Amino acid sequence: MAGTLKNPWIYLLFVLPALALYVLFFIYPMLSSVYYGFTDWDGLNEPRFIGLDNFAEAFSDSKFRQSILNNVYILLFSVFVQIPVIVFFAILISGVKRLQGFYKTTVFMPSIVSTAVIGILWGFMYDPEAGIVNKFLGLFGVKEIYWLADMKMAMWAILIANAWQWVGFYIVLVLAAILAIPRELNEAAEIDGASGWQRALRITIPLIWPVISVIVMLSIAGAMKVVDIVLVMTGGGPVGATEVMASYMVTKAIRFGDYGYGTALSLIIFAIALLITAFYQLAFGRTNERTDG
Amino acid sequence: MPATIKKTLPHLLLMLYVAAVLTPFAFILLSSLKTNNIDIAERPFGLPESWTLQNYAEAWTRAKINVYFFNSAYLSLSSSAAGVLLAAAAAFALTRMKFAVASKWIYQFILIGMLIPGNVLFIAQYLLVKDLGILNTHWSLFLPYTAGALPISVLLVAAFMRSIPGELEEAGIVDGLGALRLFFLVVLPLTLPALVTVFIVNFIGVWNEYLLANFFISKDHLRTLPTGMVGFRDAFQTNYALICTGIVISVAPVLALYAVLQEKIIEGITAGSVKG
Repeated sequence: MAGTLKNPWIYLLFVLPALALYVLFFIYPMLSSVYYGFTDWDGLNEPRFIGLDNFAEAFSDSKFRQSILNNVYILLFSVFVQIPVIVFFAILISGVKRLQGFYKTTVFMPSIVSTAVIGILWGFMYDPEAGIVNKFLGLFGVKEIYWLADMKMAMWAILIANAWQWVGFYIVLVLAAILAIPRELNEAAEIDGASGWQRALRITIPLIWPVISVIVMLSIAGAMKVVDIVLVMTGGGPVGATEVMASYMVTKAIRFGDYGYGTALSLIIFAIALLITAFYQLAFGRTNERTDG
Repeated sequence: MPATIKKTLPHLLLMLYVAAVLTPFAFILLSSLKTNNIDIAERPFGLPESWTLQNYAEAWTRAKINVYFFNSAYLSLSSSAAGVLLAAAAAFALTRMKFAVASKWIYQFILIGMLIPGNVLFIAQYLLVKDLGILNTHWSLFLPYTAGALPISVLLVAAFMRSIPGELEEAGIVDGLGALRLFFLVVLPLTLPALVTVFIVNFIGVWNEYLLANFFISKDHLRTLPTGMVGFRDAFQTNYALICTGIVISVAPVLALYAVLQEKIIEGITAGSVKG
């Protein structure tokens, strides 16, 4: 009986199903991606090894370069526009007593809704005829904007819808960190005559810096992953204006059958995400190795 | 006077934010109850001229939302249940059985999965399910969904299991329970809080998943809600009311779940992302 927890067969019985599924759908696809990425496989003929040709092609592919640029826009927008907004609202929520739970629950809500459905919802909001975005702007005298059909505006439309979905999620993360700060610190500062702004800038933000760092990392990862909302709202259009790396990769592989080239693109996406994350960690992340509590 | 301003200003700003979050939902909900586009376009926040649930009946059957809804429901339930069970079994063996070295390696190996962004595996998984001959069946979603949730599920469940005192199992063993009964009768019930969290997070994830569902399934009667909804929008482009009805139906279950279990959901989703 003492051997119950030492029986190797039982151990295998418990571990193997999960392990097998994991290997089949994570490890094997990862390895086969690396393999296909160096071939010109089109799904019909035998895959042929072509070395780095796919990668060279990717960086001279003007459509792919445009899509990298769009991912960069999303990244810059989420780090430099969204994060200040996130921190600002998290501090506001942490400072109120009444309705705090209500604010937290409400701002979090969009992040549990399907991104595809949010794409449809915002597509409707942007509708030039029936949508309320133009109606709202019309109150301030802004002329009708064809959000999703206008090459200059389409990317903004995506950025706004994407921010609408995710900002609340990050607010809740930051809020949890702020609420974990011992009350005495702020109270002491208040007695010393520090204003709300001073307390936010001198006490709260430095203390939650590790969490801000985490949400920067999550935003980077998120910006690299954006795809559903683009596929649903614009399909990458008009004329590639909103194409992102992942949507371009999917289109290339599934629509055109360029599996070799598509997997090479997916490896590039992976590499870019790792590089940016590593760069950020080296440059700013030194002081907070473990922040996840 | 300044004191009251100081107190109300944060609420004012927060209410603006709340309005920005809720307005789209309100707009969609109101539009779903209206019967014509003019009513929607001209008075977006006016109440419907005549209250009608006709759109709901129409969307449910004619637009086959009932089919998508059922597909989503049973895929979400089955793959979350399978994922939780597999993760719990693996976590049990890894944390409670006496194979420390093997367990450490296997655990680290499974966690590698969290470093790989889902999108990166998309094409390879597509080719895999094609090779397995399950493209265009629900297996092509069930298996990757279940597998996809494993790393984070194992992480969360294992963390929880480590905190369970060993005496309880020892008592079970002394009472003559075999490993299987020990797992099902003693460990699983004790781990329930973590299992519920993981189940909910996986459920929402599968319910909302779009990319795989869109490209792995092309038969209409097998579609899930997100992809079915997109097809539905493309088919009924000018029927705004019906599209809004579809949105309401597909969002309602998740929001209902959220209304009841908000704390659990927030906790689970944030823990999943930060650890991941």
